[in-house]
Amino acid sequence: MSEFLHFVEHPLQEIALLIMAVVYITRLRWLMKFPAGKERQAATGAIDTTPRRGIIYSWMNIANPMGMESTRTKIFFYAQFVVFHLGVTSAIALSFIIPYWPHVLEIPGVQPLLQFIIGAAFIVGLFRMIRRYGDKYIRAISTPDDHFSLLLLTVWFLFAFLSVPNDTSGGEWHLVTYFILTAFFLIYVPFSKISHYLYYPFTRYYLGKTMGHRGVYPIEHNPRT
Amino acid sequence: MPAIKERSHKAQKVLERFEKKLNRQIVGSLVACVHCGMCTQSCHYVLANPGDPTYAPAYKGDQIRKIFKRHFDWTGRVLPFWVKAKSVYTDEQLEELKDVVFGKCTNCRRCTINCPMGVDLATFNRMARGLLVSVGVMPEGVAVVSKDQWELGNQMGVLKEDYIDTLEWMEEEMQMELDDPQAKIPIDKKDCDVYYSINPREVKYDPRTIADAAKIFYAAKENWTMASEGWDMTNFGLFSGDDDLGGSVAVRLYEKVEELNARKLVISECGHGYRSTRCEGQNWGKKDVNFTMESSVITMLDYVKSGRIQIDAGKNDKIYTYHDSCNFARSCGMYEEPRELLKLVVNDFREMYPNRSENYCCTGGGGAMSMSEYSQRRLKSAKVKADQLKATGANVVVTSCHNCVDGLNDLIKHYKLGMEVTQLVNLVAEALVLEPRVAPEEIPAAPEAVPGADGLKGKKILVTDDEPDFLTFISTVLEDNEAEVIKASSGDEALKLAESEQPDLITLDLSMPGRSGIEVFETLRKNSKTQNIPVCIITGRPEMRKLIYDRPVPPPEGYVDKPADEDDIVLNIRKVLKAGHEKS
Ligand code: SF4
Ligand code: SF4
Repeated sequence: MSEFLHFVEHPLQEIALLIMAVVYITRLRWLMKFPAGKERQAATGAIDTTPRRGIIYSWMNIANPMGMESTRTKIFFYAQFVVFHLGVTSAIALSFIIPYWPHVLEIPGVQPLLQFIIGAAFIVGLFRMIRRYGDKYIRAISTPDDHFSLLLLTVWFLFAFLSVPNDTSGGEWHLVTYFILTAFFLIYVPFSKISHYLYYPFTRYYLGKTMGHRGVYPIEHNPRT
Repeated sequence: MPAIKERSHKAQKVLERFEKKLNRQIVGSLVACVHCGMCTQSCHYVLANPGDPTYAPAYKGDQIRKIFKRHFDWTGRVLPFWVKAKSVYTDEQLEELKDVVFGKCTNCRRCTINCPMGVDLATFNRMARGLLVSVGVMPEGVAVVSKDQWELGNQMGVLKEDYIDTLEWMEEEMQMELDDPQAKIPIDKKDCDVYYSINPREVKYDPRTIADAAKIFYAAKENWTMASEGWDMTNFGLFSGDDDLGGSVAVRLYEKVEELNARKLVISECGHGYRSTRCEGQNWGKKDVNFTMESSVITMLDYVKSGRIQIDAGKNDKIYTYHDSCNFARSCGMYEEPRELLKLVVNDFREMYPNRSENYCCTGGGGAMSMSEYSQRRLKSAKVKADQLKATGANVVVTSCHNCVDGLNDLIKHYKLGMEVTQLVNLVAEALVLEPRVAPEEIPAAPEAVPGADGLKGKKILVTDDEPDFLTFISTVLEDNEAEVIKASSGDEALKLAESEQPDLITLDLSMPGRSGIEVFETLRKNSKTQNIPVCIITGRPEMRKLIYDRPVPPPEGYVDKPADEDDIVLNIRKVLKAGHEKS
């Protein structure tokens, strides 16, 4: 391993993670400084719909494609969402596995599994880019950040895919690129739409609490569409 | 150094007030949108305007979000172009925002429950409405209705005398129908179990719902009352985004309940009224209350299930479907109770799809019925609802919301669906089986004579409508009630006949070719020979309510929505004649 590869795998990642953590904490503090709206009124709706159940239902929405018409009627799109996010998780995991636990990659089946997931996520990324440019509705709501974030992730998937074998026999360029992209990704994320995973628990918590208190969540009776 | 753009006074105020309106939920919704587009097809505006991305919920949300980003979000402040952040500078830009937040969204929350991120567009759209209202940028109808609710305590400008008069009139009708002079609509009775609050629309256009509710309370032997003030449970603050108005209206009602020491506040069937009074009012008004609140749907359901009232579902013998009001269902979880009650009072119920929390808005929600400038857009978007209604195969659509009654009636007429719209209170009252009454001897047999109560005998009525079928229908109804009918099929003809025939009352359609009903009405009012003749508007354009508030002449004496049934027409005409009789 060259010194440069060691630098991008270790100090660079650690610095990037630290910056990301600081920025995230700042962001959370900023969000928390806004007062939370309160519900004074007694609960409405069915007796078994409580804020607590509403919050849990709301958080679990991610794994409940039948809970919303928008996912229920677009199962292929939901599947893309699952693959894409599994790809992100795998590519992030890879950025820890390679520098700290490279032996994990020796376990039979791990490499093909990671490559399958990350490769599929790369293909979904291409689909999403076509959709973002090609779909009139999506194009109208897209910002430069949306386009760039998607491009960044898709290219990152490609290099993560190539880096899974952790093989430097043909050169280090793919690993170097992957780790530089990862560091950039970590620093860029808090300023971009990719930070949505930070907000998901918040928005879903408050929506679930309100809808639970008002007897809407959990939606027990899935209406036929 | 780049030139600093001038900002208009209103734009400046909007920005200053923006931060004060932000809470954690709203900020969460403003930062969390990932522009995935999953919400796009959930909005009825999008479905009715294919190919136009400006109706997409996320696009509409971005018109508010871009201001937020420019002023409060770090990336937007440093690199505005990167996240399409943009401030607001001119009054024209505020007008453009008005067009989006009032004219392209009914705050129905359907996109909210379809957003994977939990972005609640309807909530921050309401916030944006409130900001615009605070600087006087709003549709004219919103200004008029808000003003009435601030000044007169109810959003339809109903005067106290008219309200009390209507209650007394309904009481007399009920006494006659039940043949019981003890059947009362109590006013300001203390220590009751039920304090019944209503929508001013019931007083103005649909008093039959008050009589029907009174009949149900009578049958249930309820210890109930209505109030002389603080009776309006609707709240335009929900639509205008004005929390101060919302709080003040709700607290006015709560304080009256406390003053009368009532145990329970029952809210008549109204989606936004229920949400405002039951779910939002305490938060806006920052007030805790010591009484319970419930929808009249639950009250009626309890009566039926506990056997306090007897029902014969066979009396409602049509085919019924149920429309979930957005505020009642999607924002307050009220979807099982109305269905349960409906199935108890009718024999043939057909479900509508999608339904409950996924139902489509009637398209008249969010105050849209008071914004006549957006009527064409509203009716176009109503195609989605019209298709839904048609697919049920029902001939009556039941809803627990007065606003939806107007919205549905309007679209039913526009799309020529030939359906009726009714509420649960009407169906329960219709299905009531009353115990035969044993009259105590000391009670006088005949109630006090009500002018005009014995039909419309001897009354000369000029009926004006350009639709031959409706002209024949209404003439037949009036003739069956022994009135003398003169028909006019155009505005000009009506003006001529009004002058020459001097009728006791004129019924007037508002949408006629040539001289419009509005013009005819004003001409009648300005002509000394016709200005004192009472006018009852019968129209299929509820948005023309504006005529009543914004007139340069005294308002019409009566108002009936089309499609109107025989009872509505006769009841309203008798009310107008009775009021005229008392005046003279
Ligand atoms: S579904 Fe939610 S996150 Fe996606 S575009 Fe709509 S509002 Fe934004
Ligand atoms: S709240 Fe309703 S009307 Fe408004 S954008 Fe969402 S779905 Fe459309």
